[in-house]
Amino acid sequence: MRIPDLNSLYDAGSRLLLESTVRVGVTGLRRAGKTVFVTAIVDNLLKSGRLPFMDVVSSGRFQAARLRPQPDPDVPRFDFEGHLAALTGPDPHWPEPTRGIGQMRVSLRYRPDSALKRTVQPMATLNVDLVDYPGEWLLDLPLLRQSFADWSAQTLELAARPPRDELSASWRGWLATIDPAAPAEEEAARRGAALYTDYLHACRRADTLLSLIQPGRFVEPGDMKDAPLLTFCPLHGAQPNGSRGRGSLWALMEDRYEAYKTNVVCRFFAEHFARLDRQIVLIDVLGALNAGPAGMADMKRALELSLEPFRHGSSGWLDWLFGSKIDRVLFAATKADHIAAHQHAQLRALLDRLVGDARNAIRFEGAQVETMAIAALKCTDSVVTEHEGRQLRCVRGVPVGRDRPTVLFPGEIPEDAEAFPPGRDRPYNFLAFRPPDDLGRDPRGLPHIRVDQALQFLLGDYLT
Amino acid sequence: MTERDTDTRKPSPGWIPPMELELDRAAPVPAEEETALLTGSGDPADLLPAPATPVRTTRRLGRWLFGALAALVLVALGFDTADLLARAFATSLALGVLVGLLAATAGIAALAMLVTELLSLRRLRRIEELRAEAGRLELDAPDGRADRFAGSLVALYADRRELAPALARVRDHVTDAHDEHEVVRLLDREVLSPLDRAAYQRVLRASRDTAVATALSPAALLDFAVVLWRNLKLVREIAALYGARPGYVGSLRLLRRMLANIAVAGVTESAHHVAVEALGGSLAAAISTRMGQGVINGLLTARVGLTAMHLCRPIAFGPDNRPSLNRIRKELLSLPKQVL
Repeated sequence: MRIPDLNSLYDAGSRLLLESTVRVGVTGLRRAGKTVFVTAIVDNLLKSGRLPFMDVVSSGRFQAARLRPQPDPDVPRFDFEGHLAALTGPDPHWPEPTRGIGQMRVSLRYRPDSALKRTVQPMATLNVDLVDYPGEWLLDLPLLRQSFADWSAQTLELAARPPRDELSASWRGWLATIDPAAPAEEEAARRGAALYTDYLHACRRADTLLSLIQPGRFVEPGDMKDAPLLTFCPLHGAQPNGSRGRGSLWALMEDRYEAYKTNVVCRFFAEHFARLDRQIVLIDVLGALNAGPAGMADMKRALELSLEPFRHGSSGWLDWLFGSKIDRVLFAATKADHIAAHQHAQLRALLDRLVGDARNAIRFEGAQVETMAIAALKCTDSVVTEHEGRQLRCVRGVPVGRDRPTVLFPGEIPEDAEAFPPGRDRPYNFLAFRPPDDLGRDPRGLPHIRVDQALQFLLGDYLT
Repeated sequence: MTERDTDTRKPSPGWIPPMELELDRAAPVPAEEETALLTGSGDPADLLPAPATPVRTTRRLGRWLFGALAALVLVALGFDTADLLARAFATSLALGVLVGLLAATAGIAALAMLVTELLSLRRLRRIEELRAEAGRLELDAPDGRADRFAGSLVALYADRRELAPALARVRDHVTDAHDEHEVVRLLDREVLSPLDRAAYQRVLRASRDTAVATALSPAALLDFAVVLWRNLKLVREIAALYGARPGYVGSLRLLRRMLANIAVAGVTESAHHVAVEALGGSLAAAISTRMGQGVINGLLTARVGLTAMHLCRPIAFGPDNRPSLNRIRKELLSLPKQVL
């Protein structure tokens, strides 16, 4: 028998006692900037040169941070090095978006603030586990409360309305040709699911940036691509008595829908979501503004649905199901560098209005909520220029796909008013900018806007 | 349907559609202010709007009286000096020259003192202006004002070598994406919080000094003098630390405003605390009245010091970094046990 080394035992024990761990969930709908955000915070924590608003750094108590092996061996690791290389390499470009869940552990060492803590441990360690998962997965949660018949009716109704009616034409055309009561054929189910998935993908690609996509795994399958669990779609013809013949197509789809709920939705929430301590929700408000009123309305609806799990208290059944312990939630409007700096306050006010309902609900539950306008990677500068005798505040940067910088006036978000003033066609034009050159040479970390304040809100109380 | 009516109104003429503009004509955002921030020169204080002057309710008669008296004394001095000179010259040339030199030296020294006093008063006033401006920036944030504020603050501390790294850090951190509120907060955290710590240490030391001196001094008059001298010294130290470097008039003015502050803000509160803490809190203090007096004097000194910190800081304290009397109180109360 191997006798355990006393030293290593002591180490393990002290680690158990003296290291604390916080799980931070990073989520957001597609293109909200999750990948870049996680890359930026890890890089900034490692280099800690641009974090003046983190108390632990500005008071000089911060020692160092380094990457450590993540605690869950069955979750894919966030490819930090690859994404950082894409941003800082010789030809800087935006990293490939991550699909599915990713995890990363950063350990921070710091000197505790209080004298009492310092006598116990002169140097404390905080393990920050960053869990990055698609916001689409949160959209699945409302499914738990819906039967297949309800969900079908609702989805079909939504698909028939503009702007989705054109995108769903081929799928709805197929629906018209089949009879849900007919005996089930795998071929038909696969065909239906494929068409439905195409429709969802088309929604995501659409100019209007439709965000309400259910079930989320159809477009972000993670490791479940082509599994029978993902081979179903909403069907016409829910019958009031609900009795469909055994072995019919309807029964097959309904079974798979229920299996999806138990095996995918419940599992995700129990294994990942319920274990989070902190959550940051990234929201691409500017993208929705770019997309116009329809895109904005769609995103608002998607937000409302995806924020459901955070108001677990309002629907008591979620409490016992997941027992979420998230006590701080941060809503962040990303890509704030696409507008001039003086507009950040308006962007934040707009975000406040968007999430106002959810925010109140979360506050009521006793968790702290904050909203911010951030940019994980600052690609532009604010500049002043003159136009027809007026001073205009613009942004200067290199748009994606070009190699010369440009000065862009993207439109101004009005203060205290509708984001889409009537009578103005396309009031906004936010361009995507390229990451600046030579980011890798800066020893201070990636330039950002308010990422340090976001970190202070999310981790500040752990680092005292 | 009035809402509909307002909805269909035409876009206001001031609206500008999104567009791309010429690259060459764009300038970095607050061009002139940022250079002020970077170089720390250009006297950005001149850019600051004049602070709202408080309505003065001084008694005019008293002013006239003092003015007239001072003028009288000056005239009398002049006559006397002239008289003295004439008499000295009448006695001998050498004596006349000597007296003339002495008079000239005294005059020049007085003038120089006056100038330094005025300069120090101006510095003090500038700090007050800065604090008012910071308060205004916290409330509402017009564009570009924070950079001017930062420029003035940096200019105030430009010749302090120990603050150079902090100032460099601020210059490094501030980007065009920070709004006015954030710039002020950054300055507060990076530049002023080390000063706060140093000032607090000085207050702690001074209050301990007065406590010990009062406890050990044999005569009441002596400890009164010691307390007065130590308080004055403390106020000047703290003011110098925050960049005010007050002269005599400045210190007196500070002291006067401080006394008013202490009187308004909480003599009753402090007396209550002091009595409870000093008499009930510590048995030793209850036994020895001298010890008790020492503790009370120390606490008063601490209060003077903290008020001086409040008055000299270019950015007012927020709710979370306000210096507290608690630590000093604990320290002072442990003093009798140490001495006994």
